[in-house]
Amino acid sequence: MKLPFYPGCSLKAQAKNFETSGIAAAHALGVELVEIERWNCCGTVYSLTGDDLMRQVAPVRNLIRVQEFGENRMAVLCAMCYNTEKRASLRAQRNKEDLEKMNAFMDKEEDYRGEVDVVHLLEILRDEVGFDRIKDRVERPLRGLRVSPYYGCMLLRPREAGIDDADRPRVMEDLLGALGAEVIDHPYKSHCCGSYHTVDDPHLVARRAHAILSSITAHGGEIVALSCPLCKHNLDDRQELVAQLYPDFSKVPVVYFTQLMALAFGLEDAMGFDQHYVDPHPLLEEKGLLRKIKV
Amino acid sequence: MTELKFIRGYPEYMLESIELVHRTRDRRRKEIPASMTMQEREDVLHIHPDYAPGGKRKIKAGPNRGDITPNELADLLEAWPRIDPGDIDLGNIDHDVDILIIGGGLAGTAAALLANDNGVPKEGILLTNKLRHGDSNSIMAQGGTQAADRPEDSPILHYLDALGGGHFTNKPDVLKAMVEDAPSVIRWLGELGAMFDRDEQGNFIELWGGGTSRKRMHSAKDYTGMEELRVLRDEFRSREIPVLEFYPAVELLTDRAGRVTGAILWNTETGQYKVVRAKATILATGGFGRLHIRGFPTTNHYGATADGIVLAYRAGAKLRDLDTVQYHPTGAAYPQQIIGLLITEKLRGMGAQVLNKRGEAFVYPLEPRDIEASAIIRECYEHENCIVTPTRMRAVWLDSPLIEEVSGKGSVERELPAMVRMYKRFGIDMRKDPILVFPTLHYQNGGVETDPKGHTNIEGLFVAGEISGGVHGKNRLIGNSTLDCMVFGRRAGTYAAQYVKEGVEPGELTLKHVEGYVELLKEAGIPPERKAPMLLPDYRGKTVLARMIDVL
Amino acid sequence: MSDEKSIMERIREANKAYTTGLDDEGIEHWVTIYLMGKAYKVPADLTIMQAIEYAGYQFIRGSGCRAGFCGACATVYRKKGDYKLHAALACQTRVEDGMYLVQIPFTPAEKASYNINKEVPDEQVLLKYYPEIARCVSCNTCTKACPQELQVMDYVQAALRGDLQKTAELSFDCIQCGLCALRCPAEICQYHVGQLARRMYGKYGLSEPPSPAQRIQEIEQGRYEDQFNRLMKMGRDELEKLYNEREKE
Repeated sequence: MKLPFYPGCSLKAQAKNFETSGIAAAHALGVELVEIERWNCCGTVYSLTGDDLMRQVAPVRNLIRVQEFGENRMAVLCAMCYNTEKRASLRAQRNKEDLEKMNAFMDKEEDYRGEVDVVHLLEILRDEVGFDRIKDRVERPLRGLRVSPYYGCMLLRPREAGIDDADRPRVMEDLLGALGAEVIDHPYKSHCCGSYHTVDDPHLVARRAHAILSSITAHGGEIVALSCPLCKHNLDDRQELVAQLYPDFSKVPVVYFTQLMALAFGLEDAMGFDQHYVDPHPLLEEKGLLRKIKV
Repeated sequence: MTELKFIRGYPEYMLESIELVHRTRDRRRKEIPASMTMQEREDVLHIHPDYAPGGKRKIKAGPNRGDITPNELADLLEAWPRIDPGDIDLGNIDHDVDILIIGGGLAGTAAALLANDNGVPKEGILLTNKLRHGDSNSIMAQGGTQAADRPEDSPILHYLDALGGGHFTNKPDVLKAMVEDAPSVIRWLGELGAMFDRDEQGNFIELWGGGTSRKRMHSAKDYTGMEELRVLRDEFRSREIPVLEFYPAVELLTDRAGRVTGAILWNTETGQYKVVRAKATILATGGFGRLHIRGFPTTNHYGATADGIVLAYRAGAKLRDLDTVQYHPTGAAYPQQIIGLLITEKLRGMGAQVLNKRGEAFVYPLEPRDIEASAIIRECYEHENCIVTPTRMRAVWLDSPLIEEVSGKGSVERELPAMVRMYKRFGIDMRKDPILVFPTLHYQNGGVETDPKGHTNIEGLFVAGEISGGVHGKNRLIGNSTLDCMVFGRRAGTYAAQYVKEGVEPGELTLKHVEGYVELLKEAGIPPERKAPMLLPDYRGKTVLARMIDVL
Repeated sequence: MSDEKSIMERIREANKAYTTGLDDEGIEHWVTIYLMGKAYKVPADLTIMQAIEYAGYQFIRGSGCRAGFCGACATVYRKKGDYKLHAALACQTRVEDGMYLVQIPFTPAEKASYNINKEVPDEQVLLKYYPEIARCVSCNTCTKACPQELQVMDYVQAALRGDLQKTAELSFDCIQCGLCALRCPAEICQYHVGQLARRMYGKYGLSEPPSPAQRIQEIEQGRYEDQFNRLMKMGRDELEKLYNEREKE
């Protein structure tokens, strides 16, 4: 299966390991993520504002790129990009007047017809690949690894964009289970990490990270899996500040779900565990998960 | 004139000839005319605008009195100053600097950077421009920069090529300096971040040029001059070296001993003048294309009016090799909007041939420029085998589509994007149809005589770039001009800095040399109506000019 | 010998319109253009630049290379009955009847100062000096304003995600006329961003070929001194012989 793929800015820079592990893990399941040409920044943040139609142009332009190639679906990994593109596509579909205005403004593009669906890779894995097939592909079950899934906001809210039930999501739990991990539930799995407040109020982010990560630890989780470069920044890179503010805090490694897939599939070159503040290697070593798979 | 119908950008009546060009292409690919013998070269040169009689005369005054030079340049050398020394208050100094650089093309900008590298602080440097910083012939240079950096090549061969091209009149020590510095210039540009064309292995793509025995032209598509200049200019701006724009120099300043001590700059927008005192002055004012010598169109930029030569000459600078002028064999001849613009020799280096109206190649495509130009003029005006454009210009074809076959499909667009773009703007696809060319006034081979350190015969005065004379002798090869600018820009900057650091007293400022020059003009009987420097050419419509009056 | 002279005179005559000002003789087709709102009847087949000079203006600003390389003659115009704003270079664009135009010879723009020797060619370097890149809303106005028809928005987007190579390659033909920066709602100076990207890529992204370094060393060690000394002492005849017999690659 080939899917047009929208990487977004972070996946080309600070979240390169998310892209590498995502593309490799999907490939291992027969899903080819093909990067769309001439994509632009989806805008996120400002594109999520509802009252400024101009800001919707950026995400809609990416949908036109997909349309230009005769495709009608776009897969996304970054949860913020996913949310932005999804809501832009829905607005274009539902609000004909807005769509007309945007098309009139973008006079160098073909008109967007409003027919492109935006999907998150987790949806593809659940609905089209199936967890059984994922389980079959596993070469190195993540036995003994106690993983806590973290959804953050963008995968689940608002309802029109959510990939799962906002109160009781299951998709990441099921995926992690299929990879052989021991899934540790925890109450803050869809609590906001603080998002862009990391820029103007890092302490706010540190407090939230502390609450989320301590809760995970208290419930027995030893590693966090997520799907958003901003959440990753707030929950991983910000642990330095958390540790400063809370001397009793013990650090927890935070990784992208696709990296755990790459690990479980035996895709040694695509795991990308070097781009983290809290190094996951010691934990994975301890669990015997970094030993090369015998052929 | 009846309505002209256009097909693929060309008037209908040219189509027959264009068809002949397309039909003869296959045969011509293998049958390239042989290059001329020495005798054949001599036979054709008589029709070159530089050799045909009537275009030049002896200079009547000054250090090169009695030397031959084109009439249009003589008119400026034998001309009165624009300013009246009595109007200038030299006691009020506006800028007091170590080094004043007049002209901000490749040479001037390179000089500023090297002066700064060699210990002159940025406040001690002032670069002044008649137009904007970067408006120059440099920015339009399309061909490339020669440098003998490959193992199969050597500076000795580069020297020989340039010497032969220059008819063996080049100043040996100056030429040696240029060819030896060339590889360093390429490295310097790379360090500053210039993007020269590379092959897949990362090596420089180096091309032929007319008169070269090795492939050694480094280029950046056909934007070589632009790429080099904008990199140097960006570095200059990052260092925040002081710069003036729209402030040409209208006279140099000298002390009683004749040393150059600065210049008078003039604000072309307000008419205000500035007095600049400088311990060293570098003239990098470029060429003289806008003099339209012999009525030829030119490749040069708007400001190429020989200002620097005039100023230096009045101060007593010796000139050399100004008895010759370089005409580029292929200037655009159609459509009329681009008449005179450079059609770089690179096309011929990539395989294009020069054809008459019957689609016949009548000359070896890569003769030295004066030979090539003469052959074209002969074909048009003696053999009458040419195309006549709607504006009655005579021209021959340059078979650009042949490049696609010789150098590979897509090579024209890849290597010559500026030119493809230019023709497209006027409805012509040069990858599919040939283009019309005729010689155009291109380069000032000679100028103010210099030495390997950028000195002139006047203390305190340095030169670099097209304004200088000696390095190219009487005829310059492609790829040696941008090289000249950067080699001697760097040297002038370096040695001017050294000169300043050796302890030069700021000089007294006088216009005595101008007054002295005026006396010479009077003796020679030159009327005061003729004024110089020209500063800007005048293309105002004649009808409107006839009805203009000065009211304010 | 008088033949050559008359040929020269014929050439001068054929070029008169381009080496001096145009007069009205023989011009049959005219158009009306508006320079900053003032109507002028000009010959139909001129460029905007030629037409402005025909109308009696001598350029101080707004004329540079006259060949499409320097960006001095940036012009914006509208056509009768058309709301669209067009951007063009005066030296490369034919006049049209009803053209309403103005020249933009200058764009105020902040160029950052940097020393590329001290910069790391990572994804952050462009944002470091031009953080306003992040304000780009992908509106494409810059692309529409570019007289070189460059994909300006695309190179700004490449700059935003730190792709130096793509930014350099897409912006290469930029002549820095400034129209993109003037029109940009996010107030980005696209051409300055492109310049920094190209220098960083040219310095760090392209490998250093071995050839100049080797030759430079040889020259510094004086490897060619003897040959040069001999050449510089030779007479003209000897040099000519050497030149004619030199082997071409």
